[in-house]
Amino acid sequence: ETTLRVASWLPPTHPQNAVVWPTWSKWVEEATEGRVKVAIEYGMGHPKTMFELVEDGVVDASFSYHGYVPGRFKLTQAVEQPLLGTSAEAASVAHWRIHNKYFAKAQEHDGLEVIGLFTHGPGQIHMAKPVSSLGDLKGKKIRLGGGVQGEIGHRMGVTAVGAPAPKVYEMMQQGVIDGVFIPMGEQKSLRLKEVAKNVVALPGGMYLGSFAMFMNPDFLADLDAKDREAIMSVSGEKLSAMAGKAWDAGDAAGLEAAKEAGVNITMVKDGDALSKEFVELTKGMDEAFLKSVADRGVDAKAALTELREVARNYK
Amino acid sequence: MALSAWITAHYEEKGPVAWLAFFLELIAAFTLFFLMALTCADVFGRYFLDNAVDGTTELTEMGIAILVFAELPVVTWRGGHVVVDILDKMLGNTLIKVLGLLAAFLMSTSLYFLAVRIYELAARSHRRGEVTEYLQMPVGYIVEYIAVMSWVTAGAMITYGVYRLLTTSRD
Amino acid sequence: MITALTGFAILLLIIVVVRVPIAFAMGLVGFFGFAYLQGLGFDNFMDFRWNGALSMASKRVIDTAQEYSLSVIPLFILMGNFVTKSGLSQELYAASNAFLGHRKGGLAMATVVACGGFSAICGSSLATSATMAKVAMPPMRKYGYSDSLATATIAAGGSLGILIPPSVILVIYGLLTETSIRELFAAGFIPGLLGILLYLLAVRYVVWRNPASGPCGDKLTWPERFKALSGVWGVLTLFIIVMGGIYLGIFTPTEAAGIGAGGAFFIALARKSLSWASLFDILTDTGRTTTMLFGVVIGALIFSNFINRAGLPADLLAFVQGLEVSPMVVILVILGVYIVLGMVFESLSMLLLTVPIFFPLVQSLGFDLVWFGIVVVVVTEISLITPPVGMNVFVLSAVLRDVKASTIFKGVTPFWCADIIRLILVTLIPAISLFLPELLYRN
Ligand code: NA
Ligand code: NA
Repeated sequence: ETTLRVASWLPPTHPQNAVVWPTWSKWVEEATEGRVKVAIEYGMGHPKTMFELVEDGVVDASFSYHGYVPGRFKLTQAVEQPLLGTSAEAASVAHWRIHNKYFAKAQEHDGLEVIGLFTHGPGQIHMAKPVSSLGDLKGKKIRLGGGVQGEIGHRMGVTAVGAPAPKVYEMMQQGVIDGVFIPMGEQKSLRLKEVAKNVVALPGGMYLGSFAMFMNPDFLADLDAKDREAIMSVSGEKLSAMAGKAWDAGDAAGLEAAKEAGVNITMVKDGDALSKEFVELTKGMDEAFLKSVADRGVDAKAALTELREVARNYK
Repeated sequence: MALSAWITAHYEEKGPVAWLAFFLELIAAFTLFFLMALTCADVFGRYFLDNAVDGTTELTEMGIAILVFAELPVVTWRGGHVVVDILDKMLGNTLIKVLGLLAAFLMSTSLYFLAVRIYELAARSHRRGEVTEYLQMPVGYIVEYIAVMSWVTAGAMITYGVYRLLTTSRD
Repeated sequence: MITALTGFAILLLIIVVVRVPIAFAMGLVGFFGFAYLQGLGFDNFMDFRWNGALSMASKRVIDTAQEYSLSVIPLFILMGNFVTKSGLSQELYAASNAFLGHRKGGLAMATVVACGGFSAICGSSLATSATMAKVAMPPMRKYGYSDSLATATIAAGGSLGILIPPSVILVIYGLLTETSIRELFAAGFIPGLLGILLYLLAVRYVVWRNPASGPCGDKLTWPERFKALSGVWGVLTLFIIVMGGIYLGIFTPTEAAGIGAGGAFFIALARKSLSWASLFDILTDTGRTTTMLFGVVIGALIFSNFINRAGLPADLLAFVQGLEVSPMVVILVILGVYIVLGMVFESLSMLLLTVPIFFPLVQSLGFDLVWFGIVVVVVTEISLITPPVGMNVFVLSAVLRDVKASTIFKGVTPFWCADIIRLILVTLIPAISLFLPELLYRN
């Protein structure tokens, strides 16, 4: 019997640890007829470090947010671009397929066996005070996580404040920041419902966030061929879709919690003034993305087009 | 000349080691003062100029690493790390020196080998083009610096640190 | 469980008997323990895949040295050092001394009060002890106080630095548990005052048992006392800037450290107590303390990777849960574990090791995490003065080169008992810690 150690860094109650890893662990145990057992380990360090901890065999598997390692992961930003307008589940499946068809050869995940790719739910605007247009955000102090949301914030003219996600609650409460761009699920898991009483939800959100789940290649190589195949058979697209779905469910729970807490939620519809404003704001971001990955030697333009097609036609 | 005299008077080390200590501590001092000024400027900018200093977090992170590893050789060769001395009364002076040599050997070797790995990680980071979020600074430079300073610490400890250990009597 | 406990035993052996610095000892035991759990043995020493354990340790070094939230450590210490340099700590001491110095053990009591005052601007217990050692030790020696009472008072009083806000340890607890840092700061206030009160009683007890250990000082007249009191405004201003800024949401507690240091720098400038040389001294002194602390944190993190992998936290948790007793008894068991761990661990490493293990359990039992934070900090304070590894005691024996750690540990017992009493009170009466946060933020 082999133990597969998964390092995790979100709280144990987060959907990734409460749903995604336990479900996959059940799949792995079933597929390998109990020969491989999955154990979750906490407290191994900063999320950005997970890539290297897995590569060097400190743990056997983990997951991380690509945006934590700028420069290394650029192609993964394709799925984060604005106006995709789908659920995390659909985006995750498209993310996985496009990665394998177009991006894998660029070797951004060098040293790792990627077992799944997914995105968090659509990022929305969470503010202490109400806003009625994107213009109202100019000069506001907003916590930004970087990557595509950094670019959006820059275009809006906000004053960017950098901080890790778990600090957002306190900074909102104190008024150090006026708002944050983050998925709806954080209304519940980061308790934003108490401090960010005004949410503007754009149709399909402003951006997505790209994550990978990965394993150590040596660990896989040391397994029996049939166990290796069994693990891979319950990973890939199947795992990606399941993860995206779990994060979607987290967002739904967040929305529910926000409504219960009396948060003022503006559901912007396609064609509303705010929505038009956002489309105008993000003009040219595709081109900027394509330019930033020009050195990667892949057909990013075709990939981006196909990614949107796959995601939007999912199910 | 005034500086040279001040360093001689100010540092317990002698000759070139005193200059090395001064140089390293000067880097640390500058960095720490910069960290303080940076935080104040960031808060001030946020309230009065509607603009926080971009990349404050990144600069702060780099600053701490520079500060800590500039001081590491000096702290280490002076025996400034926390040591449990509850058995000192029972152990003889000679034994304490022998144990000190053993500790010096352990510290130097472990730092040496760790730094080899750290240097490899820096090279890997460079190869993959990892940069910081706002300032787009290559991440590998700071990691290389950490490796180099660990080697400096290991080297200084096994030479000057041991010399100091053997020649200084415990007060 | 056996592997982890063996690791603990080896660690103790090499820090106590072999005298390897704690930072390196923890790192080495953590490294080899981790490698052992990855399959290292005597037979495969040469062809073992070392990269796993080496990368684990390397990443801890690289990441910790660049951890944003740890910037509070150098900056709060820097604030304390500027304050010391501008003579504020002397004035605090003088003011306390003016009121208490003429009593039996009065200088020691003044030290406790001044430590409390200094804690209110300094984020670190080590800095508090180091500072008060320089300020309070000479007068106590002059008046014939025994070294053991004098130093134990400073070591114990210094431990207040991590409870009375601002506090580096509370910041780290807040980060680990995602609890509001300003609520934690507010919650630490009354237990801190309680600590001062109980330490005063401990001093009274020592001089009652042995009057020669703390003779009386000179008695000052009332005008002299008020004059001494007027010197305390500097500390007060800085405290208001730092805490007021946090309470009003002008800056985060992390930023408060930088603002506090900047404010202290300007106070020192205004009082003309800085020269280039003394500025250099303050900065490098802070740098050296910071490096020492980072060393311990890094070592503790590498060691915690080993302990975690060996399954000790899970075993402990299963043990506590398996007792099937009331929640409060679980808390008492956890506190017992802390007191035992406190013997071998320094406060920050103990916090880093244990809080992630215990707080989910405490939360699931329905306890308030702000209250638990204060309880943990009080028990951590105890570890600062508990042998064989009591950081405050070590810092003190480093500052006062001619006093052995064993002398200080000897004198510390009554203060240790006072701490245990306070721990019991804070644990059984949550209102002691929760009154202020409720009043200020939860309505
Ligand atoms: Na304090
Ligand atoms: Na201790």
